[in-house]
Amino acid sequence: MEQTRYRPPVWRDVRVLRVVIQVLAGAAVLAILYVLWFNLTNNLRAAGLPTGFDFLTQPLGVDIPGSDISPSSPIWRGLLNGVKNTLALVVVGIPLLTVIGVLVGVARLSTNWLVAKAAGLYVEILRNIPPLLIIFFVFNAVVLRFPLLQESLSIADLVLVNNRYIAMVGFTAQPNFGPFLAILALAMLAAAGVWWWRTRRSERTGEHHHRFLWALGVFTVISLIGFFALRGPIGLSRPVLDGRALEGGYTGLAAYWAVLAALVLYTASHIAEIVRGSILAVPRGQTEAANAIALSPFQRLRHVVLPQAMRVAIPPIISQYLNFTKNTSLAIAIGYAEMTRITFQLIGNGQPAPQMIFLLMGGYLLFSLIISLVVNVVNRRMQLVTQ
Amino acid sequence: MKAIRLLAVLAALSLVLAACTQAADTTTTAGDGTEAPATTAPDGEETTTSAAGGEGSTTTAAGAPAGDGRLAEVQARGSLLCGVNNTVPGFGFVDETGEHVGFDIDFCRAIAAGVLGDAEAVEYVDLTAEQRFTALQAGEVDVLVRNTTFTSSRDGGLGATFLTTTFYDGQGMMVGADGGFTTIEDMTDTTICVLSGTTTELNLTARMADIPYTPLTFDENPQIQAAFIEGQCDGWTSDKSQLAGVRSAWPEDQGGPEALVILEETFSKEPLGPAVLDGDSQWAQVVDWIVLATMQAEEFGIDSTNVDTFTDTEDTNIRNFLGLPVETEEGTAPFDPGLGLAPDFAAQVITQVGNYAEIYDRNVGADSPLGLERLLNELWTNGGLHYPPPYR
Repeated sequence: MEQTRYRPPVWRDVRVLRVVIQVLAGAAVLAILYVLWFNLTNNLRAAGLPTGFDFLTQPLGVDIPGSDISPSSPIWRGLLNGVKNTLALVVVGIPLLTVIGVLVGVARLSTNWLVAKAAGLYVEILRNIPPLLIIFFVFNAVVLRFPLLQESLSIADLVLVNNRYIAMVGFTAQPNFGPFLAILALAMLAAAGVWWWRTRRSERTGEHHHRFLWALGVFTVISLIGFFALRGPIGLSRPVLDGRALEGGYTGLAAYWAVLAALVLYTASHIAEIVRGSILAVPRGQTEAANAIALSPFQRLRHVVLPQAMRVAIPPIISQYLNFTKNTSLAIAIGYAEMTRITFQLIGNGQPAPQMIFLLMGGYLLFSLIISLVVNVVNRRMQLVTQ
Repeated sequence: MKAIRLLAVLAALSLVLAACTQAADTTTTAGDGTEAPATTAPDGEETTTSAAGGEGSTTTAAGAPAGDGRLAEVQARGSLLCGVNNTVPGFGFVDETGEHVGFDIDFCRAIAAGVLGDAEAVEYVDLTAEQRFTALQAGEVDVLVRNTTFTSSRDGGLGATFLTTTFYDGQGMMVGADGGFTTIEDMTDTTICVLSGTTTELNLTARMADIPYTPLTFDENPQIQAAFIEGQCDGWTSDKSQLAGVRSAWPEDQGGPEALVILEETFSKEPLGPAVLDGDSQWAQVVDWIVLATMQAEEFGIDSTNVDTFTDTEDTNIRNFLGLPVETEEGTAPFDPGLGLAPDFAAQVITQVGNYAEIYDRNVGADSPLGLERLLNELWTNGGLHYPPPYR
């Protein structure tokens, strides 16, 4: 008997249609991109404007505050310096805002009325003001009102504050710095060994391991012995004002601190809300169960609530990190020489705008993708640990 | 501020999206450059000059330009889009009534008077130093009159065509009167405020090559002013005329103009003038001759108060200049240089805006708080650099 299998005609076959539609959509997107690109290069050529990226090797022509790059260096070095300055905001800012955000978030759930209300006030005020205004406020109303250079405020010779720079004490390598690094590496190894030993012992005997304290203790003791044995391989470099020049220590332009403070405070208010919401998302039964097995409040938070809360919190926290990174472009408003500032400065000095903005967008994209990548790795580990 | 950034980005994007027709326009104009400007006598008699090949010659009404360039666009729109500064007293500034006033603003008005017959038909587009060339490239403004220095790279790399310099300037340094600086050499390890995206910034870098300093760049003068008042910078560098403008309007509670000193040294050449987009020579010529008309009027001794008294003058040069009827073989007709403008455009400019001396004096010269001397900005007859070519 002949078996008849019904096959729909090609134009009604869902499997075929799916592929065809995707191919068409892809082609349409490519076509639009091509038209835009063609139009751009064509118009640039018609207007006699450069279409390539050759300009990147031209001399920079300007000084960039807070850098040693000479005006005769190529433009790409200037742009890289912008990336470096953005990075300086991101690398310092993200840990800071995470700590402040988590503290405020936990504080909002405190049973202490004053602490909870203070944290609530902080979140509600900062979260609801545009970050640009916060930057202007911090710069114009706070940082510009710092003492004049000549009347710099010195805090125990460790921090020097005026309205141009804020400088902090720094470290300098002394003669024995190399051997000291070797000792530090040794201390790390020893700490890892102790960690492993405590873990094994705990598995065997059932006693609590305290491996973190043990490892820290071993590391500290060995490095201290090394430090004194080598008669101070690291020295302090205190910021000193010599005439109008600032020497020693780590110096940051006032604009840098203003942007950093403003954006950290702003983003931390969002992190605080995420942390609060995530903690509340852990079912009440978990807390009650932890109480039932007599965990201390700290153990309850550390081993029961936070691991589960972090799983909820990490994805939205990533997007706050990305927001922070992108918001650093607002630093342009007060003249901090990050990526956007330098890009627009160079455009103003005659470099081609479309190419420069293309590079700028690429720069932020790269920043965001790297941050996502790093935090996603952390996220994946979190998920595995709890499964 | 973000909005301003956005504007600049949009301006760049409009190169991608909107400028399609724009660039097509300019290329067409450039391609049809031989197209004949047709002129018509006011008594109805048409005098048509034909193009080299004889093809494509058109007959149009008086004053209406041939072709579809920027001139036709402006006349069809009925207003001039003028890219200006709004933060430099004396040059481009918004006064307390919200009106744009200043030296550059008056040249916008002069161009509008010459092209459209109405000095008030101007739409001002406020631009920062960084935005100005992007705005010009994207066709957002018809002409840029924004204390812009004529340099080779701007001419070559930014698609701008610079026209007659209206103001010969040079860069200087302004410091606090009690700051203890008398020369730029004194200013080691100082912080110096400067506008971003300006030739000033480049000149400062060159001048300070051997002097350690920190530049502090901002987008707008008010931001610099705030930083300067709070002592964040020791010096403020810019074109001397701009510094004089800022100084003249220095807040009284900060000590007024006497609290500031402009150091003697001038360390750059800053020829400031209007700029238009490359590729439309007809429009460039129109703007150029209107600017030159203000100087020529001064040379002839014609100003807004006495221009009416010249209607009976016997001087053919002046009759040509003002577009008054002159005897020709074909009868009496006003001289038309064929720029695509009404023959009396210079008269309109002078009646409605004034000659160069009037514009200078009321905005930046003797009759203004700036009180700048003419110096290089005198006519050539007085030892200055302004030398308008003949109107004939």
